[in-house]
Amino acid sequence: MFSAHSGNILCSPSPPFFLRCLPFPSSVMLDAMSHFLDRLTSFFHGKPRLTPAELQAAFRGHYKEFRALLTANNNALELMAEMEQALGPGHPFGMTFVRGNCTALSVNIYKMIQHLTRLADGRYAELDQPFRAITKQLEQVIASRSVSTEGATILSMAEVDAGSVDQVGEKMANLGEVRNRVGLRTPDGFVITASAARKFIEANALQVEINRRLKGLDLDNLEALYTVSAGIQSLISNAPLPAELEEAILAHHHQLDTDPQTELLVALRSSALGEDSSNVSFAGQYRTQLNVSREFVGQAYKEIVAGKYKSQAIVYRQQRGYRNQDVQMCVGCLRMVDGAISGVMYSRAPDDPRSPFVIIQAAPGLASTVVDGSGATELFRVSRTAPHPILHRQAAQEIADSRLSLTDTQAAELAAIGVRLEDHFGTPQDIEWSIDRSGLLYILQSRPLGHSASGEGQDNSISGHRVPQIRERGLPAIHQVCGQADDKGDAVPCDRLPLLAGGVCASQGVGCGPVFTVRSSLDLLRFPKGAVLVIETPYPDWASLLNRAVAVVSETGQMAAHLATVAREFGIPAIFGLNQALATLENGSLITVDATAGKVYAGKIESLLALAAPRPNLMTGSPVYKILTQALVHITPLNLTDPTSPFFRADGCRTMHDLTRFCHEKAVVEMFTFGERYGFDDKAAKQLVVENSPAQWWVIDLDDGFTPDFNPESRYVHLGHITSVPMQAIWQGMMAFPWAGPPPVSLGGLGSIIFQSTRNPSLDPAVRSAMTAKNYFLISRNFCNLSVRLGYHFALVEANLGEFLTENYVSFQFKGGAADENRRLLRIRLIREILSAFGFRVEQKVDAMTARIEKKPGPYLLERLRILGYLLIHTRQIDMVMADEGMAATYREKIMADLHTLLDTPTEG
Amino acid sequence: MTQALKILLIDDEIDFVETTGKRLARRGYLAKTALTCAEGLTIIASGWPEVVVLDVMLPDRDGMDCLREIKEKWPTLPVIMLTGHASMESGLHGLECGASDYCLKPIDLETLVEKIAIAHRESRAAGA
Repeated sequence: MFSAHSGNILCSPSPPFFLRCLPFPSSVMLDAMSHFLDRLTSFFHGKPRLTPAELQAAFRGHYKEFRALLTANNNALELMAEMEQALGPGHPFGMTFVRGNCTALSVNIYKMIQHLTRLADGRYAELDQPFRAITKQLEQVIASRSVSTEGATILSMAEVDAGSVDQVGEKMANLGEVRNRVGLRTPDGFVITASAARKFIEANALQVEINRRLKGLDLDNLEALYTVSAGIQSLISNAPLPAELEEAILAHHHQLDTDPQTELLVALRSSALGEDSSNVSFAGQYRTQLNVSREFVGQAYKEIVAGKYKSQAIVYRQQRGYRNQDVQMCVGCLRMVDGAISGVMYSRAPDDPRSPFVIIQAAPGLASTVVDGSGATELFRVSRTAPHPILHRQAAQEIADSRLSLTDTQAAELAAIGVRLEDHFGTPQDIEWSIDRSGLLYILQSRPLGHSASGEGQDNSISGHRVPQIRERGLPAIHQVCGQADDKGDAVPCDRLPLLAGGVCASQGVGCGPVFTVRSSLDLLRFPKGAVLVIETPYPDWASLLNRAVAVVSETGQMAAHLATVAREFGIPAIFGLNQALATLENGSLITVDATAGKVYAGKIESLLALAAPRPNLMTGSPVYKILTQALVHITPLNLTDPTSPFFRADGCRTMHDLTRFCHEKAVVEMFTFGERYGFDDKAAKQLVVENSPAQWWVIDLDDGFTPDFNPESRYVHLGHITSVPMQAIWQGMMAFPWAGPPPVSLGGLGSIIFQSTRNPSLDPAVRSAMTAKNYFLISRNFCNLSVRLGYHFALVEANLGEFLTENYVSFQFKGGAADENRRLLRIRLIREILSAFGFRVEQKVDAMTARIEKKPGPYLLERLRILGYLLIHTRQIDMVMADEGMAATYREKIMADLHTLLDTPTEG
Repeated sequence: MTQALKILLIDDEIDFVETTGKRLARRGYLAKTALTCAEGLTIIASGWPEVVVLDVMLPDRDGMDCLREIKEKWPTLPVIMLTGHASMESGLHGLECGASDYCLKPIDLETLVEKIAIAHRESRAAGA
């Protein structure tokens, strides 16, 4: 609700040009505004009068509250911005971040409410209600847990499809889909579900102990990480299975055992809940155990469940925003396929979702040799179009037994399956397959292919069109590919020859950093942030270094290796199969890795780095990301945009942002009307004595904004009496260049009228009062709140430059203009560009704009205030002539030139 | 600041209080440390500290309890709550009990120093 006094003054219904409801100029109450001081005087009759000393003390007390409120507001806005930015690229965060920021935010808003209530002598206590309500909603979002699906501990593969995902994990759900919906052959077997894993952990009461060990674990301390990880894994592996569960597993195992002649061997495959979901794969993070006999099934199961706490999985979850409790380990128990030839197939080239061929890698034996990144493989590019001819075939090394080499028919059969699975799942697939000794083809896994998120955009930005060479580069094991044609040769100075060229582009991009060779886990412990990881073999274990590495160079390995998949997901450039890497690249020397071109250069090549695409946000779609997104629903939307609206009141606050806005608004009102309530400063607003200004300026001293020798009885104040540092800076900016007067207007009509009335306010009686409405500075030595109405524009500048960075900020709000909307928007965009260039965080809603900088040192902020002062005066009528973009560019140049002159000019006094 | 500010750290994480105490001292602050609430109360009773930094979890008693006792006996002494476990509930509870601020570990020293100085300034302003 409006307080009584502000209601008296603010009696107009929403004038459109206000962002702020200082209780003065409204378009309707023009007369009242022009007699503001007179009204104050009469208003005070009958108020108890305090002695001047008491008044001074009371006012100081209120000002302290006000300042504390501003600091809390500053903190709150910064926290909100931080949380919003976290959703953007390159900011891994966990629940600690979300919980911590929400807590800090609510603490600061609580403080704002307390300060406001004290400032307003007890009013606004009703803010507590919306505050509690929003806090409660936030708490619920943060506390939300992954939905636990109680149910069967074991499901047969015949019962599994995509709908079973909450019980069997995505890997097994996909495999069930392949088997039961697509109708392809997959190994027989069953899944030990998430419920089973939960029961196992609960039966042994392990979670509390696990959490205790993980608590406060510093992920950068790799030694501690490994110790804790190993401890938790052995804790789980050594706990007994509940008897009921063990019996059920053995019973299902028995059902698979249909051939009394041979011993049944199974593969146990991890299928974590959350794995493989939208761009996220815990590639190679979890265990698969092959050739497990009956007596070891239970133990193998426990070890896979324990694998949830492998060190790289712990790090990976943290990086990707997975909470430990959100990941449940489901385990597929599948009959072993006696593989004669096995491999991996991509239904498209990983760097080109439109490639007309599938890529198949095949090796004798089981599929794991391909996936491990070791062993001789054959590589095929097979047309996606029937009859699926082989377009390209390459063997890393001659396979002696031709029976272990993929036939044309088999390649075609695989390609057809690749296309079919891609059609079924609606996105390119990464497929593991195996052909057994009787020639039957089994699908072991199908999951979305992890495309490099930035790949396509990068191609486009480099050459403007997609060129075949770039697609080719994606192909594994092809020296001729990565080493050749340099379609962005321009980027590299001609005299720079690469140290190394060739290899496989395992993940696109460019990275620069010092070489750090990792040969053993001892090196792993010392790996510094920002280094280039140089290795001989891309073991999955190195994945835990990828959030610290800027690029990866490996002597061996291909793009199907797990490390390559993870590198692509992380957007870390990687070249694999680069011969002589270890011998050539010297530890500690600075190199630039251009993985897209398959080249490594000495030193830092800025031109190449400039081409590097921004890293994708890995968090998108992860549970923590979702929680933050949901939390932000209660935090950032601003519903209270118009302070003059009848809905601008405590019970209209729906978000934390609303609360900050409301508190700040009302705090300014309270300070402004302090004198009114206490009846001492009816002469508080002093008119600033200035010459040649298009407007009148009034100054209200909140605390120590005037020099001690200033005569408080005076109705006028000279600049020389003003001690307010931020006000002086704004004023310098305003006066640095003589106002050129309104720019020439090419249009008649409205533009002309406004031009006229602006140039000479007294010309048009209808608009005179609006034009002459007062502009107020509320000041103290370190603080300034300036509200300006010049012409039809409203602007507010507020700044505090305190003792501490925590208290420092500059904020700017701008709205309005009399020209048509298009022109107003062009001008807003111009101002926005300029302010962004000077480091402001700018938000824009239609033709209203807010810009803010906080927690920067005083001199930096004073520069910004001078810029704002300049803009207040010099852009105020530009929308009149903002006919087009060309005009905007002209003004932009002039303004930037002026601003540079302004900032080069030494400040006075 | 004319005189070095006297800061009391009450926290059972020995590593934390020791390093923080040393770093504060290096910046010209006077810091004492206490590992328990009881120990802290004794030092406060001596009239020494100007600002208290208090961990929410203490071995001898609940930090919130400790806060309540401090604020009851020395209502103008500013207390900053520090904790490794963020919870909106405990944060608000701390402020309701009279804490000047509520911060999360890990906190960088720069930020902590500012919070201490601001809490101190505000407490003096309120008392003035």
